[in-house]
Amino acid sequence: MSVFDGLKFRRVSSPIHMLDPRIKFLYVCSIFVVAIVFFELLPLLVLFLFQIPFVILARVQREWVRSLRGAAFLASIIFGTNILFRFMYAGYSLTANDIEYASAMTMRFIALVESFSIFFLTTSPDHLGLALEKSHIPYEFCFAFTTAVRFVPVLAEEAQTIMDAQKARGLELEKGNFLKRIRNYIPVLIPLIISAIRRSLELAEAMEARAWGAIEKRTNLYSLKMKRNDYLLVLVSIFVLIIGIFVRFYVSIPTLSNLLGF
Amino acid sequence: MAIVKAQSLTYTYPNAEKPALDDVSFEIQKGEFVILTGPSGCGKTSLCRCLNGLIPHFYQGELKGKILVNKYNIVDHPIHELAKHVGLVFQNPENQLFALSVEKDVAFGLENLGIPRKEMIERVDCALKTAGIEDLAERAPHELSGGQQQRVAIASIIAMNPEILVLDEPTSFLDPLGAKRIFKVIGKLNESMDMTVILVEHRLDLAAKYADHVIVMDKGKIALDGKPRKVLNSDETRMLGVGIPKATRLYQLLDEEKALHSRQVPVTADEMGKLVRGALRA
Repeated sequence: MSVFDGLKFRRVSSPIHMLDPRIKFLYVCSIFVVAIVFFELLPLLVLFLFQIPFVILARVQREWVRSLRGAAFLASIIFGTNILFRFMYAGYSLTANDIEYASAMTMRFIALVESFSIFFLTTSPDHLGLALEKSHIPYEFCFAFTTAVRFVPVLAEEAQTIMDAQKARGLELEKGNFLKRIRNYIPVLIPLIISAIRRSLELAEAMEARAWGAIEKRTNLYSLKMKRNDYLLVLVSIFVLIIGIFVRFYVSIPTLSNLLGF
Repeated sequence: MAIVKAQSLTYTYPNAEKPALDDVSFEIQKGEFVILTGPSGCGKTSLCRCLNGLIPHFYQGELKGKILVNKYNIVDHPIHELAKHVGLVFQNPENQLFALSVEKDVAFGLENLGIPRKEMIERVDCALKTAGIEDLAERAPHELSGGQQQRVAIASIIAMNPEILVLDEPTSFLDPLGAKRIFKVIGKLNESMDMTVILVEHRLDLAAKYADHVIVMDKGKIALDGKPRKVLNSDETRMLGVGIPKATRLYQLLDEEKALHSRQVPVTADEMGKLVRGALRA
């Protein structure tokens, strides 16, 4: 779960946190596109470094490092499989180019994780829900989304309580082979699901008590307004996209091993 | 002026054999602080659900008799319309907060009603202040203690500015200090904003001093209905298993010994203290 720990939002006031979530999403998308079109290590490395100022500006370095650490396991799997396939494909031999290719794939993943973590670390789920609403997604879905986010810590805590209670009754979760271990979790899951259903009923009552569905067009406490920095980020995103595509088509990219003279 | 008026109200949940409310009739006056109490499963919660239309609109089932809330017959008005007049605070504070920040949660009802943003911000601020949680405005609900969460729930109801505030065992998940704070907030709303309060409560030790009117229920029926000192001092109330204030119980015990001279039944520790002091002096 450590990958998700690195995506947990914490309230900080910084210029990045103040940005319109829709624009931040545009930025993530442009980073995503650029990361996908390149197969070479050098531009992906540039993409990675390019985003570091955002992290520092948002003052989320610690969480960011944690998200990268969480991603390290997946990253090493990506690296390992790439090396393995290159190794087998080339007839059981390995060149510097192969290693560089595998590193590039890994770097692509890391750059993507980086942009996602900047997005999630600096966007409060409330604003995210608001952005969804403003994107003409039906309010019911936005509400379901924010409520789900709100209940994640509650359910996690409840799962822990149920696990403790079942362990106190002699349930051994870490015993047996892989399948047995999954089956061990049934006595935890069933009470968890039942209590979640009960909770949802109570929630529905509470929603009714607060005039849910009173009028068609509800208002919102928060509003999204594009500010100067938002327009700036739009420019940056478009710039990144154009540069990325331009380099892809018109510039031949040297490999790092050539540059270093291997 | 009666703000709530029930006439032989009888309600049976779907698929239930016995009615949860059985021929219930009572009246509540505007501006009263009513304590509704009785053993578990006596129909207190069902009665609360009637007050804002959850029964019959949300729970269905069979409703007979009549209940008028603020002159509205609950059967003819949808819940969201009644919600403007009757605010209902539930037992579990956790399950009535939806948003990811306190202020957003307090605004939830207002958003549903389509209140313009400028007015909404004012009303949210005012509600937070009344509940004494203005410093928590930007916090997430799961970071708060149970008592704080319950005050957020109350603030979110205050923001909608209902004439009647109904609280269904709001303190059962809280520690005594948290409970005391809740009662203080409710007492203030009743006193200074003239809100009619209907409080379902077992902790009469802390709540009794605010009450103008006590209703005791048992097995879906109204067992006793009247002034607090009279109802709490009656033997029937105690026999039903209602936790009457310790001060009142002590008074009864001392009264059996003919050790007291006062005819005023005490409901708080302070009043009891005065009584005992008087008895010692005599």
